[in-house]
Order: sequence, then structure tokens, then C-alpha cells
Amino acid sequence: MAKIKPGLKDSLVFTQYSVLIWYYIVKLVIRHGPYDMVRDIIRYPWILDLLKVNGLLYRLTRDRSGEYRKAVSLTVLTIARQIAELLERAFHESDKLILHEDLVPPEIFYAMGLKPWTIEAMGLVIPMLEPRGMERYIDACENEGFPADICSFVKSAVGMILEEHLPPTSIPIVTSNMPCDGGMSSYSIITKKRKIPAYFLDVPYQFHDERAVEYFVGELKEMIAWLEKNSPGKMDWDSLRDRLQKRNRMVEMEMEMWEMIRQKPAPMAAEPIYLSHLWAYNNFPGSSISVELFEKLAQMTRKNMEMGIPAVRNEKYRTLLWNPPTAHFFDLFVWAEKAYGVTCLMDMLSYNRQPLIDTSSPETMLNGLARNIMDGPMVRHTRGPAENYLDDIFRIYKTFHLDMIWVAGHIGCKNSWALSGVLREMCRDKGIPLLIIEYDLCDPRITAREGIIRQVETFMDNVMKAPRLNQSIMKRIPV
Amino acid sequence: MRLFENLLNIPQNHLIEQAIKEGYIPIGYTCSYVPEVMLSIGKLFPVRVRAPGVAGTEIADTYLSSVICSYARSSLEFFMEGHYDFFGGWVFTASCDHLRRLYDNMVYLKKHPFMHILDVPHKSGKAGKKWLKEELDIFRNAIADHFGVNMDDTALGVAITEYNGLVALLKDIGDMRKCPDPPFTGTEFHHLMLASMIAPPKAAAVLAKQFREELANRKNIQKYRARMMVVGGNLDDPTYTSIIESQGGLVVADRYCTGSIPHLTTISNNRDPLSAITEHTFARTDCPRMMADFDGRIKRIMDAIRDYHVDGIVLEAIKFCDTWGAESSPLVSTLREAGVPVLRIEREYHLGGEGQLKTRVQAFIESMGK
Repeated sequence: MAKIKPGLKDSLVFTQYSVLIWYYIVKLVIRHGPYDMVRDIIRYPWILDLLKVNGLLYRLTRDRSGEYRKAVSLTVLTIARQIAELLERAFHESDKLILHEDLVPPEIFYAMGLKPWTIEAMGLVIPMLEPRGMERYIDACENEGFPADICSFVKSAVGMILEEHLPPTSIPIVTSNMPCDGGMSSYSIITKKRKIPAYFLDVPYQFHDERAVEYFVGELKEMIAWLEKNSPGKMDWDSLRDRLQKRNRMVEMEMEMWEMIRQKPAPMAAEPIYLSHLWAYNNFPGSSISVELFEKLAQMTRKNMEMGIPAVRNEKYRTLLWNPPTAHFFDLFVWAEKAYGVTCLMDMLSYNRQPLIDTSSPETMLNGLARNIMDGPMVRHTRGPAENYLDDIFRIYKTFHLDMIWVAGHIGCKNSWALSGVLREMCRDKGIPLLIIEYDLCDPRITAREGIIRQVETFMDNVMKAPRLNQSIMKRIPV
Repeated sequence: MRLFENLLNIPQNHLIEQAIKEGYIPIGYTCSYVPEVMLSIGKLFPVRVRAPGVAGTEIADTYLSSVICSYARSSLEFFMEGHYDFFGGWVFTASCDHLRRLYDNMVYLKKHPFMHILDVPHKSGKAGKKWLKEELDIFRNAIADHFGVNMDDTALGVAITEYNGLVALLKDIGDMRKCPDPPFTGTEFHHLMLASMIAPPKAAAVLAKQFREELANRKNIQKYRARMMVVGGNLDDPTYTSIIESQGGLVVADRYCTGSIPHLTTISNNRDPLSAITEHTFARTDCPRMMADFDGRIKRIMDAIRDYHVDGIVLEAIKFCDTWGAESSPLVSTLREAGVPVLRIEREYHLGGEGQLKTRVQAFIESMGK
């Protein structure tokens, strides 16, 4: 195995990407104008948290080296670039800005010439940068009478709307019944506060047949017609074709990466696998920057594989992270890699099993999009029958040659919790070690990072009987 | 109240036992989106799933966890304890996350030979109706195949006529609450409504007729402080209603899953049965799981306030219910903006905290100046 300890070259990688990130930040400030920027920071104070992006870069790259470090850095840089693009939309193209729910794919909006903004996006991004960044919005939402037990990701979005901290737009909202009842129902309060209408997409419960595809294609067509009537957007099928072809390219690259990481030890892991998907597919599918990201990630993975370099030195245990990631402790796997040699190879939100879209006609494109949406990650798991949820876990376990299963037991994800008993028994029957981490996606007050670490340690020490690889790592973690 | 004695406090009451002895088959169902009329054919009869007197949900919590609504947990607990073993089949709907997962867990833990889940869309437009009609057709065939029951249009037409008869009878009684001084309490009517959901339809009709006859000899209720409407999700324990009424409220309108508004609507007999049942399924259930209908729900509540001369609303939701929980916040603010007094209560499925509930209702009535 080649030596891959972080060295001078790796330090330079960090410096290079930090500088690039600052370049895009400064570019945004110059384009927007310093005065307007200050005014908008006052209007949307969470923008200040975005400036902590290099802190995230540091946390995610420390102790990582070579192509793995580069891949992580590139993923963070891409997110920073695309957030700058989002902000520009909000500042300069608000007449085309369309707010939409996070699992409604934006490809159609782009093809209509609209500028999509995922209402829930900051609920994931901000805690990654500032773990306590969403607390004020969660509190605002609960103070309005929203139940405390509903998902904090949903409450963050509602709180931002209530506090008027999301950009204004007169274009109607598009939402859906995905991924759960809490998310779906939150749009009553969101549309009431915004005083604008909404279009609701409905995904059937049983979606594995042509009847469901036909129903949902009908939903998409109706949505397009409704938006053409109620927004400045006009459907451009050539534009959709172009975007979906680029999206297909992203999928091809991702499939190649997945094939390569089946190898033991894996040539790529963690954030380049799942954060890249989570961000780029949900917000910028088929954009040139996203395609470039996936091409480079595949290239880096290929390079590692050809040279026999594992992403995680001393890879000991391979796992997946089921459910949403630990947003306010996003460097969980940096810690776990170092402490136990745990390598994360897949997560729920990346595992999409309907890859390529036929772009030969408008009908085939809508058909492909419908299948992708209905059978997409999380929608399939939280909306459909239990088999979808459970079978995928064991399929991933087998495909990626895993040693254990980690479930991020986000306390607000009730329908996942409702399968925890079944999952526990099935894992016991199959002899698969299972860790369910109790935490909250956006709110560190429920379980702080130290609490998450303790749960992992207890599992690794008692169930996996795993020797700790690096005792000194705890010194860096405040308890 | 004598009529309903011992009917509601166990799942397998004497009317169900009697029907089983006569060869009838009870089918359990968990949600108002299940069309009972399709379970009231031949030897089948529908029984709404309840868990009266559930003492704890320790076993169910192991599977569903403690963050799931206590109706789902209580039902699973009773299921595991064998309280529903008399059911000849089960029908669920994918109506909310909690009931979907109840179904998933039941299938995993103790699969019954007939367990069917209906996929009810979240929108009731043209496409939604087409989808539901197809679902009902699949459902009809599943019942016919499993139980050997004739489910053709003629049989459904007969069932619709019988169903409409019971609904008309109940509605006739329920509409008396629109009068200034109705002859019965909300608690009594709550008993009657629940009886109609857990007894074979013919027996329920007999009960309703007896109740109506009793009313002829009664004095109207004049001693109350405020006319109340209860709004919310599943509420199948009349003790809640009696607690509200013990503080001087008279519950004149029941707009919840197991209530009469808008539940008591008849099914059209002038079109093909499945289309009529589809229309009826959407029309008689007013759940916040339906998207894009918040304004409609507000309007229907305001209509009921007007029709039943309601002074104030008690909005109840079971803890952890996402749909009612999330809807409650804009619902309360919208109603208050319209000048309607609202008391919002988060409760468990099983009765608890009676003292607190009494105090809150008492304070609410006083806050209305009644």
C-alpha cells in the first residue's frame, strides 16, 4: 500500500482551494456591490455563516491526503461556487426566482428559464458551516405553534420563511407530498405566510408500475401548464434535453465511481460520494459545474484505483450512513476514519436506482424524470412500502461489501424510526452489526457532536470490538 | 347512554360476537378513507380499529418507536396482544406516515391472510379521482377473490342503498344539534357515532332508531355555557367529549376523523358505484393529509360554525401527528383572525390528564365570556 500521510503537497491543496473559495466570495461581493452586500447581509444574516466555508474545508480535509483530499476540497469548492450563484439569483434575478421543496427536482424549472431555489437547502448547508446556525429558525417555527416533534429540517425552512430570511419572489411555490408528512404539511404555513399560491405534486404510494408513471407524468405536465400560466417561465424542451443529457453524464460518472468503490480498500469515500450527490443533484443537476465536478471526482477515484491507493488509510470497516447525514457534525467520518478506520461508502440520499433518462422526446424525458423522482432516494424510502427502505439497506450492504450498517436516527424522521424495530431484528437475523445514532439533523441541542461520538464509540468498542487506531484524536474534540 | 353500555370498552363487543356467531366476518379498518360501504357486502361488515382501555404500548414502542402517534402504537399493541384476532381481514390506507408504518409492522410481525392497503392520492382532482377509482377496483377484486363475495355493481348498489339509509338516520339525529337546545349531549352523540363504526351496520341502525325514539320523550338541554365544536384527528373515546361538557360546554359539532362532519354524507345512487364511492371518499373526509386544500378546510369549518351556531372550537391532535400538528398552527391563527375562539389541545390517544383538560376547557369557556 502506498504511503498516503498528509504532507506538504496536501497543505498546498488546502491553500489552493481556500484561495479559490475566497475568489468566488470576493467576485460575488464585487458583482453585487459592497453596499448592497452589507444591506443583504443585514436582511439575510445567515449569509455570514456562509463565510465560514473554509472552516468546513479545513474540518473535512484534515488528516486526509492525496486524491481523496482533493476530491473533498473540490466538492466543497463546488458547493461554494454554486451557493454564490444562488445568491446572485436572489439578488439580481428575483423576477425569475422560484422557490421549491427540496425533493422536487429543478430540471424543469431550469428548462422553463426560471431560477430555482430549494426552500430547505440552507437547513442542511448552514449547520455544516455553523452547527448552531439553524437554532433561531427552529425556535421561530416552534414559537409559531409548529410542533417541536416535527423534523428540524422542515422547521428550519418554515422558520426562515417566518423570519422573512429567504429571498422574496412573486412566482408561486412548487412543492409535493415528498418526503414525509411533516415536510408536506409545512407548506400550509409557508404559503399562508408568503401569501402566494403553490402547486403540489403528488407521488403515489405504490409507484413501481406504469400506472404510477402515467399518473405522475400527468402531474408534471399539469405543473408545467400551471407554471406557464402563473409565472414568466415557458417550457423549452431543447433546454430540458440538454440539461438531462448533462445530468445523464453526471450519472454515468457516479455509476463508475460506485463500481470502483466496491473495491476493498475503496479508492474514494465519504463526502465526494454523498455530499456531491446531495448537493449537485438536488440543486444543480445537469449544470456544467456539476458535470465537471463528477467528471473530476471519477477521474480522481480512477487515479487512486489504478495506483492502488485507498481513500482512507488503514481502512478497517466499511459502512453506509442511512438516513440524512449528521449536518451539524459533518466531519463525523473524518473522525471515524482516524479513530477506527471506518470508511463511509454510501448514504441513503445518494442511492438512486433509476439512473439514465431517455431524451429522445418530451414524453420520454417526462417519463424518465417521473421515474427518477418517484424512485429517487428518500422518496422511495420514506414514501413507499417498508420493502423499499429495508431492501435497499441490505442491497447496499452486499454491493459495497460492508461490515456494518450505521443509521443516522434523526429524531424527526418518524417513519424511519417506525422501522427501527424491524431493521434491528433483520440485522440480528443476518448477523449484521447495526448502529442507530440518535441525533437531530439540524439541532445540536438534541445531541451534540460529543453525544454522537459517544454512541459510535460504544458501538465500536462493544459490538465491533474494534481497537482504537488513534487515541490522541480525542484531544481535539471538546467534551 | 344505556344503549351503548359495554359496546365501546372492548374491541370485540357483544354485537360483533353475535354477528360472528351468525357467520358474518368483521373486517378491521384504520382510517376514514377506507370506504366502509365496500366492506358492508354479503357476509362482511366493517369494524373501525380502536384500542379502548389500552394500558401501555411497551411492545409496540419496540417496533414503532415512541415518536409515532399513540393511536398507531396502541393499535399495534392490541394487535400483538391478540385483541384483534377475531378480524377476518384488515384494510389500511396510505393516508399518513404513521398508519403506513403500522401496516408495515403488522405485515412483518404477524401477517394476516387478508391485509390490503389502499393508495389514496393527496389530491382530489380529476387525476386523483381516476387513481382512487382504479384503487377501489383493485380492492373490490381483492375482496371478491379472498372472501368469495359478490362485489359486482349490482351488489355495490344494494350496499350503497343500505349505507345511505344508516347515514340518513344518523344525520337526521345529528342535525338536531343545529337547534338552540338539542335533546342530547355531544357525549351521547359521540357514543352513537362510534357505535355505528364498530357494530354491524344493521345492528347500528337498530341502535340509532332506538336512540331517536328515546329522544321523543326527552327535554331539550338548556343548561350549558357555550356551544362547542371539536376539530381534529382520530378521537374515539367519548370521555374526552364528556370532560368538555362537564365544564359547561355543549359539543354540538364533531369535525374529526370519527365524528359526523363531514362524515355523514350519502353516496350517489345515480352513477356507477365505484365512481360514486370515489367521490364520496373524498367528500366525507376532511384530513390535512390532502394537499392544496387548506382554504377549503377553513371554509368548511366556518360553514359548520355558522350551521351549528358554534361559540368556540377545541382543536385536538394526537401528539406526534404530523399532518394535524403542522396544520394546527396556521389553522389556529386563521380562525382567530376570523374572530373564532380556539383552544388547542395536544393529547395522547388514551385518556390522560383529565384534570388539566378540565381546567383548560373551563378557562377557555371563561375567556369567551360565557
